[in-house]
Amino acid sequence: MSFQRMDADTAETLAGVVRLLRRAAELVWAAADTEGAGSPRQVLALGIDLAADEARNLLPDAIAVQGPAPVGDEPAGLLRSAEQLLRRIDTPGAGAAVHGLRARVADLVWEANSGVDA
Amino acid sequence: VSMPDRRTVGELLADSEALARETLLDATLEQAPAMVRSWNQLVGSAVELWAVLPSAPNSPSWSDPMERLRAIGEALSRSVTAGHWPGQGPTDEHLTQIADNLSHARHLVERSGRPSQSTTTDSPAVLQHAPGQVMHTLYVAAHGTVVALGAYAADLQGQVETAKRRRQPVAERPAALEVTEAQGMIARFDGFEHLAAAAYLAVATPPSLMNPGQAATPTKRLETALAAWEVQAHRTLAASPDPADLVRVARVQALITSTTSILTEAAATKGHIDADVIQRLAPSLEASQIAWSRMAKRWGELTSPASRTDPALVGAASEVRAAIAATATNQAGWATPDQLASRLDLPHIVKTLHLSMVASIEVAYVVRDTAADHPGLTAPARIIGMRSQGEAEIAIEQGETRYEGVTWTIRRQRASNQLIPLPEPARRGLINLADDVLATTNQAVAAGAQLDPSDVTRSTRSGQRAHLGRSAQSHQITHPRDPAPGGPRR
Repeated sequence: MSFQRMDADTAETLAGVVRLLRRAAELVWAAADTEGAGSPRQVLALGIDLAADEARNLLPDAIAVQGPAPVGDEPAGLLRSAEQLLRRIDTPGAGAAVHGLRARVADLVWEANSGVDA
Repeated sequence: VSMPDRRTVGELLADSEALARETLLDATLEQAPAMVRSWNQLVGSAVELWAVLPSAPNSPSWSDPMERLRAIGEALSRSVTAGHWPGQGPTDEHLTQIADNLSHARHLVERSGRPSQSTTTDSPAVLQHAPGQVMHTLYVAAHGTVVALGAYAADLQGQVETAKRRRQPVAERPAALEVTEAQGMIARFDGFEHLAAAAYLAVATPPSLMNPGQAATPTKRLETALAAWEVQAHRTLAASPDPADLVRVARVQALITSTTSILTEAAATKGHIDADVIQRLAPSLEASQIAWSRMAKRWGELTSPASRTDPALVGAASEVRAAIAATATNQAGWATPDQLASRLDLPHIVKTLHLSMVASIEVAYVVRDTAADHPGLTAPARIIGMRSQGEAEIAIEQGETRYEGVTWTIRRQRASNQLIPLPEPARRGLINLADDVLATTNQAVAAGAQLDPSDVTRSTRSGQRAHLGRSAQSHQITHPRDPAPGGPRR
């Protein structure tokens, strides 16, 4: 999916994904900071950051990422919501980038549920 | 009219190695600034020659070691061009001559590759050894530069102290800042020297001495990811980075530092490392991880919702993260020493991580330069106004008068949280955080000197400031754990 061909709904959905991922990352980094140096949560937090970066880079500059702050303070729930939004736009014509991002976010949901954040 | 240069590639490389040794033996404090200025030209010529040479049979498949060195050479050059010490001025004759030799050798190799223009009498065996010679030349020349810089910094420090004792007016004293900047340059060249030494060992080790287990995938995957990360971090930071890039760089470095800590402790538990090494190293690594994390948070304040991270950096960071997750974690968090020992060649990977820590010092210097010089840095007015005020107050307490009574943002900017150019005190805060990273990481490198695969640190570092006041014994150099049966060449 190129920037030019992205329709408004898809762009808004992706912007929502960015916000959800950034909020989830914020929460996991806060937990990692509380645990102190060497927290294993860094691995998950960085993974969420990088997924947010990927989602952001799919959006054209003209699309505003700002929007309502996601509700919730549970990283796994926020990640699940992001994955569900991506499922909506991961259509056969969406392209490899959206498909790959969705797979990565699904992995992060699993990590958040099964790892130290569970 | 000058005579045409009829030397062969082998002769040019041998002459370059000899010149590098002379650089080391003749290194004087007066030459230090010129050597720094010449460095990028030397590395640039080496990179170009390296690109046309046949691959060394044992060159690490995980990365091109010259890429790492090129990144550092370019970062040093940008720093000097931006006006940092030593600034513009004359270049060094020896290093320039070596650069010319390497460029000439490249021309010969390129021409010999064309069917009708065989101009060199070099045998294939000569070219086979060339990568090792190029790397050795860089290693020795870097060491010579470190020695000259050490003498320069020590001399300057002596002048500053004498001026203080004699109560000379401040305006007539040598600048203490120059001492700090020269010391910083020593640390950067130290890093280059260690990386060149390790690369030299990699290309020069006979196949019989290679550890067959090195091909094991988890170890190799982590090595590959780390090497690719360093190069990509330099590339991204060299190209007008967004604050989001700086956040990602710092976060990844913090994670690598934590991983280094976990794997080194596992290696100690398994008896691969002395217990006293880990006792010294663990607190330094923890301090370095904290310093990188603090830096990440502060750069995070400069990001806006619209910020983007360089896709190439995201790719390299993702691979580092994936490699660490696969090798060093389990479902409960960090993997146990037993698990780590079963997955990884622990003694080998610990050395790789130590080298990565050495390389991270240069990354921190580039981050510092970015904070100091990047003209396009902007930040949301509200947070950066507060941050600037806080940093200004600290600076005022330390005697800085220029910030007194200055307002950093105006009401309209705060009301709309407009993106504004980074005020000087905010830059100063970022520089201070980079300095914390540098101090703690240098300490960790010194504490882990025994893990250095090149053995260079063992002989030259005994503490964080070991680079100060190097004496004549620093002029002696041998090949780092020279694998060549015939001992040092020439």
